[in-house]
Amino acid sequence: MTLPTRIKRFSVLDRLSHIFLMLTFLLQTATGFSRLYITTVWGKKVNAFFGGYDTSLLIHEWTGMVMMAGFVLHTIYLLTRIDWRTPVKSIFGPDSLVPNLTDAKQFGQRIRWFFGLGPLPGFNRWAYWEKFDYWAVYWGLPLLAVTGFMLMYPLSTSRFLPGWSLNIAALLHRAEAILAVTYIFIVHFFIGHLRPSSFPMNEAMFSGSVPMEEALEEKSAWVKRLQEEGKLESASSAAPSLWYRRLYFMFGYAALIFGVYMLINGIIYSRQISLH
Amino acid sequence: MAKTPSLLKIFVMLALVAAGAVLLLPPPASAQEEVASSIRRYKDREASTGYYEEYEVRPRRAKPLVGVPGVEAGIFNYSPTAAKVRNRSHLADSHMGIAFYKEKTCQTCHPEQAKDIHIVRANLTCRQCHGGEPIASIPYFKSPMNPIRRHAYVCAKCHEGSSASFASYIVHEPAPGSVAARKGFPTLYYAYWFMLVLLVGTLAFFIPHSFLVGLRELFNKKRTTNDDAADAH
Repeated sequence: MTLPTRIKRFSVLDRLSHIFLMLTFLLQTATGFSRLYITTVWGKKVNAFFGGYDTSLLIHEWTGMVMMAGFVLHTIYLLTRIDWRTPVKSIFGPDSLVPNLTDAKQFGQRIRWFFGLGPLPGFNRWAYWEKFDYWAVYWGLPLLAVTGFMLMYPLSTSRFLPGWSLNIAALLHRAEAILAVTYIFIVHFFIGHLRPSSFPMNEAMFSGSVPMEEALEEKSAWVKRLQEEGKLESASSAAPSLWYRRLYFMFGYAALIFGVYMLINGIIYSRQISLH
Repeated sequence: MAKTPSLLKIFVMLALVAAGAVLLLPPPASAQEEVASSIRRYKDREASTGYYEEYEVRPRRAKPLVGVPGVEAGIFNYSPTAAKVRNRSHLADSHMGIAFYKEKTCQTCHPEQAKDIHIVRANLTCRQCHGGEPIASIPYFKSPMNPIRRHAYVCAKCHEGSSASFASYIVHEPAPGSVAARKGFPTLYYAYWFMLVLLVGTLAFFIPHSFLVGLRELFNKKRTTNDDAADAH
């Protein structure tokens, strides 16, 4: 049996969700950092671009609400993806992003592989670091949303919670935002762009498909499973057209440059701000 | 067949109309009343208990009445030196008798208090909240800063409709990781350390992890390329 040259990895909805998250996340980073760094020269410059201290907050708040709508829609989508006839098998199965014991085992195997002590484990559809990426965003979003809403409506919040909870909310909002930004702009960008198997850019999230050799190298258990289930033929996908590749390369690199710009300036000016 | 509506139906309809009318009323103003209870109260949300003596202007206790949970205020918490400062806490002029007071600025003695968001971001000056001379001690019962009326006399100047609960926001927040925060605002302290450990832990794990992946793949790639070159010859 001949293998298809490319197989499908992300649906159109997955890719649109990722683009949605990219755009909103970068906008939140820019407006949020412009306010966090407002006392520095760089912060003032970025803040002026977004129309000043109050306008940038307005953009930040509305983008946050759009993100929350996206989060709710995504959660509904997740619920539809569960096979409700066999929920346990579906939630803990190989197509699910829920971590399981195999991930722990494969993590150990991969550590041995780092030092040349063993072969690369055959990952299934989602490898453990991809699952971590997903859940980091999934718990970060509601945390930022809840604390963000508390800070947006401080008077209403203090009806139900003591006023000092706003101190906590401000701290959590900032800390979680810094965690998300550093993680995405260092770790996620490194995995997506800089590591040799991805360099110059891992196209899977934009083209929606991966070349078979890459899938066999990284996700051998997944290809094997598709083969056993007889789904490999239907997962076959055409290569993305040239204009589309040009477009997403430009888009991806714009996002990369923007993120690195934010990160580097954030690090440079971090000495000049205090967080209390 | 026309049927006369039952009494129950009429009652339900009247109840719905009444509920709708209540919803149309403006929300009760929360900044207008003074709170003098040691229990944190949400005056605009609660029905009257009938115990009106709790709401006298003069507080029944000396300690700040809207406090932060977990903060100890025992009998022997203060050294004799600190007690001197502590004894200033109920004066009409809290700075009474300080040498060369006129030559000093607020920040000469309170540098930490000039670092928070209200000053750095909103550009407030000390006087805008604490008022002109003489500045009364905060628990002094006629002070505008007294927690029984701070929300109405101070916070509501900018935060319209602020309540006593809202006014328990800590304006002069201690540095969140400090010992002062552990003693004075433990929730903030533990939230800070939790988030810091999470941040440092995540990065300390994933940066070396990604770096090792990159390194390993680089060597693997090199080997394949060399093999290819050997095959070609």
